[in-house]
Amino acid sequence: MSVTRRTLLAGAGAASLTTLLASCAGFTGQPSGGSSKGSRTLTFTTWASDTEKAAYTKLIAGFEKANTGVTVKPNFVPYAQMFTNIDAQLSAGNAPDVFRAGYGQIGGYAKQGQLLDLSSSLGGEKSRFIPAFWEAVSYDGRAYGVPQQTDTSAIVYNTSLMRSAGISSFPDSLDSAWSFDEFAAAMRKLRSSLPASKFPFADNWQLAGSPRWLTWLFAAGGRLLDEDLTKSAIVSSAGTKALDYTKAFFDEQWVPQNSSTKSNTYADTTWLAGTTAMVSAGNFLLPEFTGAKFDWGVTYLPKDVRGADDLGGNALVATKGGDEELATEFLKYMVTDDAMSTFCGEALELPTLTSLVGKDLGWDAPKGVMPVFVDQATTITAADVAQLTVPASAQITTVLTDELEAAFRQGQSTATTLRNIAAGVEKAVA
Amino acid sequence: MTGVTAGAVAAATARPPGSRRTSRRRARLSETLVGYSFAAPNLVLLGVFLLYPLGLAAVLSFSRYSGFGTPEWIGIGNYADLLSDAVFWRALANTTVFTIATLVLSLGLGLALAVLLDKPLPGRPVFRTIVYAPIVVSGVASGLIGVLIFDENTGVVDKALIAAGLPAVPWQSNGTAAMVAVILMTVWGRTGFNMVIYLAGLQGIGPELYEAAELEGAGAWQRFRSITFPLLGPSTFFLLIMNVIYSFQVFDLVFVLTGGGPGNATTMLTTFAYSEAFTTRMQGYAAAIGMVLLVLMLAFAGVQWRLNRGRDVTE
Repeated sequence: MSVTRRTLLAGAGAASLTTLLASCAGFTGQPSGGSSKGSRTLTFTTWASDTEKAAYTKLIAGFEKANTGVTVKPNFVPYAQMFTNIDAQLSAGNAPDVFRAGYGQIGGYAKQGQLLDLSSSLGGEKSRFIPAFWEAVSYDGRAYGVPQQTDTSAIVYNTSLMRSAGISSFPDSLDSAWSFDEFAAAMRKLRSSLPASKFPFADNWQLAGSPRWLTWLFAAGGRLLDEDLTKSAIVSSAGTKALDYTKAFFDEQWVPQNSSTKSNTYADTTWLAGTTAMVSAGNFLLPEFTGAKFDWGVTYLPKDVRGADDLGGNALVATKGGDEELATEFLKYMVTDDAMSTFCGEALELPTLTSLVGKDLGWDAPKGVMPVFVDQATTITAADVAQLTVPASAQITTVLTDELEAAFRQGQSTATTLRNIAAGVEKAVA
Repeated sequence: MTGVTAGAVAAATARPPGSRRTSRRRARLSETLVGYSFAAPNLVLLGVFLLYPLGLAAVLSFSRYSGFGTPEWIGIGNYADLLSDAVFWRALANTTVFTIATLVLSLGLGLALAVLLDKPLPGRPVFRTIVYAPIVVSGVASGLIGVLIFDENTGVVDKALIAAGLPAVPWQSNGTAAMVAVILMTVWGRTGFNMVIYLAGLQGIGPELYEAAELEGAGAWQRFRSITFPLLGPSTFFLLIMNVIYSFQVFDLVFVLTGGGPGNATTMLTTFAYSEAFTTRMQGYAAAIGMVLLVLMLAFAGVQWRLNRGRDVTE
């Protein structure tokens, strides 16, 4: 009897093991569904604000309508998880057919052979785009994506806080943008008029945004990398000027002490809370700003030797191994004049097609706001783009984040900081 | 049965010694197989989701790998780099400080609350629930709550301090204050668990011991020191191990609350490894950090087991 019971129990154990092993196949097996005869499915992963999500949904419906039997499965994920997931999926061989990526990320993925080379299929589209953005989706002379939109930062201000400091007129063109000295003078005035718990300004260089500090470097006439993109060029008088200038933001209490490059709080959050009078912010934040409980306006980023801007915006890229033909068709569709116009118009973003430059895309923003961003975007140069899109961008971002934090908050000298950035950057690009 | 002796029956029915051994071995083998078949599902899960990735991570720690393509074998290169990496040593020091602080505070508070709430107080179940409730809050949610509390510009703590005419504390821009914020949020989340374990331990101590001690004239402190504390030894040992492991593994709360900053003031070994793996894409280096963490934890557990072997105190 006991033998029978043991046999029964052993059998049950073996059965449970078999069931477990069988179920394990579900962890590694191919996803169910997918394309069957007569129907084609495309997977598309992106992060998206509410307005972007609505625009993507509309465009996907249009693509499906124009291509009978085609289904596009969008996967909207939080930005914070986007690239950890994409990296894991690429490693595991189950990446989406198409995903959205920042311009600075394309070189890294392309260098690792993870992206579909679009040179032959979409190379003919090159002339339709603003050259800097086609450059931004290219690596080693080959195109690996399509520039879907761009965004840029400008100075957004709280009108009443500015007025309380006696500042009531603002630059209304790129030419009349505040100089570094004029901007510093405005912050000095604000510091005198604001209570200690409020601050004149917050820069948007937090949470992997440290490359935005390069705007100050470029405006001061400096470079991060030399023309060959193989050596650092930051140890220079322009580098010293940009770093000394931005270090003073913290030393003079012009920005909140917790708004450094390693802060976990976005600058726009403190501005919306009424803690800062000004913030550098991207146009993609305008839908949120419309809910501000105070009057606000927008003006240009300060300039020094020249005006400058961060390379905001994103491209769409395709991966290898899926339905490459359909993925290419989808990318082509997403950068048609109509699709880009719809996307940028609804999501308050800027186009990358030359045919749309200067056109009103029906942005739902207060009058006069979007033209400032449109003008500001013209300050980015091809040389800036080349430095911001090297394959080692991810490592460079880490170097900038750590070293700027040390300079801003831990008393690290300007000379040491520039030397450390140079060493870190050269190690990254080597 | 006539003519058949008992000895003959015994001789006829008895198996030879060798056969008996074989039968016993078979029974033992069968017993073993049954045991393993019961353990198999857990062993398979453990192997697939713990030991196999652990083995891969160990191999990866000797490689240079960005997450794509084939890892490049570099021997002990990553470990050599770790030795000269100031951020690694800072992360190790931070993790040690954090572990000691959270251990002392959460065990002390857990014990104090357990002793208090073991007594027949009015509303005792409500108080127990309130203290235990934070344990069900995820680390990410704790971190977000921490941001609301400790934000320098909009947080409730600094607003309350300013309203009371006191200076605000730079919870996010001062390294020490940021570490204190992380420790406080961790202690808040963990004290309830420690209290429950101690409560279970307290309920295992017979009241006659306290009655006898009282008859002998022992005061409250003497009763606690000589009866309660020693008899809670097994609970303390269990909590010590669990809390040290939890503290060394802290990630989500730090990631959300401070991101390891300001500077590297709250960077822990886990957040450092994450940053190396997923921000700078040096996954081999990150795996080496993970291996160091594993060795430290194994060493700690080994020392603890050795020191505490046979030291369980019972009534």
